[in-house]
Amino acid sequence: MPTKSTVYVEAPSTLAVVVFSNEPLLFLSADLKIIAASISFCRAFDIAPATIVGRHLSALGDGEWAIPKLTSLLNATASGSARIEAYELDLKRPNQKTRQLVVNAQILDDGEKDHIRLLVAVTDVTDARAAARLKDDLLNEKAILIQEVQHRVANSLQIIASVLMQSARRVQSDEARGHLQNAHHRVMSIAAVQKQLSTSKGGKVPLKAYLTLLCESLGASMIADEDRLSIAVDVDDSSVEADVSVSLGLIVTELVINALKHAFPDQPKGKITVSYRSSDCDWTLIIADDGIGMPVGRAAPKPGLGTGIVEALTKNLQGELEVSSAEPGTIVTIRHQADAQDQAAVPTAA
Amino acid sequence: MKNGRAVVLVVDDSALIRMGAVDLVQSAGYESLEAQDADEAIRILESRDDIDLVFTDVQMPGTMDGIKLAHYIRNRWPPVKLIVASGQAILDESSLPLGSRYFAKPYTDHAITDAMARLLAKDSAA
Repeated sequence: MPTKSTVYVEAPSTLAVVVFSNEPLLFLSADLKIIAASISFCRAFDIAPATIVGRHLSALGDGEWAIPKLTSLLNATASGSARIEAYELDLKRPNQKTRQLVVNAQILDDGEKDHIRLLVAVTDVTDARAAARLKDDLLNEKAILIQEVQHRVANSLQIIASVLMQSARRVQSDEARGHLQNAHHRVMSIAAVQKQLSTSKGGKVPLKAYLTLLCESLGASMIADEDRLSIAVDVDDSSVEADVSVSLGLIVTELVINALKHAFPDQPKGKITVSYRSSDCDWTLIIADDGIGMPVGRAAPKPGLGTGIVEALTKNLQGELEVSSAEPGTIVTIRHQADAQDQAAVPTAA
Repeated sequence: MKNGRAVVLVVDDSALIRMGAVDLVQSAGYESLEAQDADEAIRILESRDDIDLVFTDVQMPGTMDGIKLAHYIRNRWPPVKLIVASGQAILDESSLPLGSRYFAKPYTDHAITDAMARLLAKDSAA
């Protein structure tokens, strides 16, 4: 049985574990004298390994480790009344930049209850903190930049919209005014996507919110009597890529304007319904009205710019356009089927 | 009011947007004034007492942006109605004086004239 002795010899394996620890580590007696220090500690804090054993912590180096708060925390740890977990402190050395340290300390629990020793792990987090700060700064800068770009885009769209409306107010011809107002609606339809994008995450546009806003805006500027004409929006919870939403929005804009202008010449009441449904990669957009229906054959008007826009964008979205009679009214259906596209992709003889 | 018509001061640093807003105000039947920043707007407000509504941009060079200008006007000329427009899509309306209206750019003419009519109607009803 070992008898009590004033000199206690640590097991060589314990000392070796400390000395070769990858993490800067100190092994201290209860009175904070160094029993061993890792090579990594000596290297990190510029201390000659040969000079340290037996010294008090506060006598290390040029005395930079004589930090009252650290000493009292370590004393408290040694007496068992505290435990140091991720304690942060600044290490100040003459002619060197202050280093930010994170200290963890605990009693070495190896069964020798009468012989208190402390394991103190010291991590230099200065560089990691600086990198994190830089990252934060870059993220902030990016957010500011995006805000700036959005602001510029919004201002540019406002200039375009303002100029178009000023022209519309000045021209004498009703037809020219109509064209200018349509151009204004198209600009506003694209602007509404921009507004949705700046509030949505991940660059996707929630269609329900977007098409609702769009139809409200079209209705507000084109419907004189809200009791007479209305636009209903029935859209599922799909979110789509920004460029897809621009195309869908422009199609809705053209077809809704067209219905408002031509479907209800003398009707006491009229309703336009915009609906969108999707499942997997297939989707269907329907713009229906309960108006007088589209004239066919010779009575059909020459296709205008609006028709051209709808056809071009439908093709772009790899969709099929179908116009049918609703008795009363007209139904325009734009359908995209992923399967149909695979077949269509096979070249056919002209 | 001037000759029975409401007077609206348009504040925007962009000449084209200001021109469009002035045209919009006049087409709605109001008297229009214009300033290119907050300082000029305050000088105009100090020089006359017939301005009913200020329609201001937010991001402007000078000592105050549109939000500060709105608060300044509310404190110094409480009866003047306020409409604020900004390129920023989301602006916390609580950062504006109570009772003022906010619109994201690009705004529709209809939305602005409608807001002006409502704010000015409240005024005459009071």
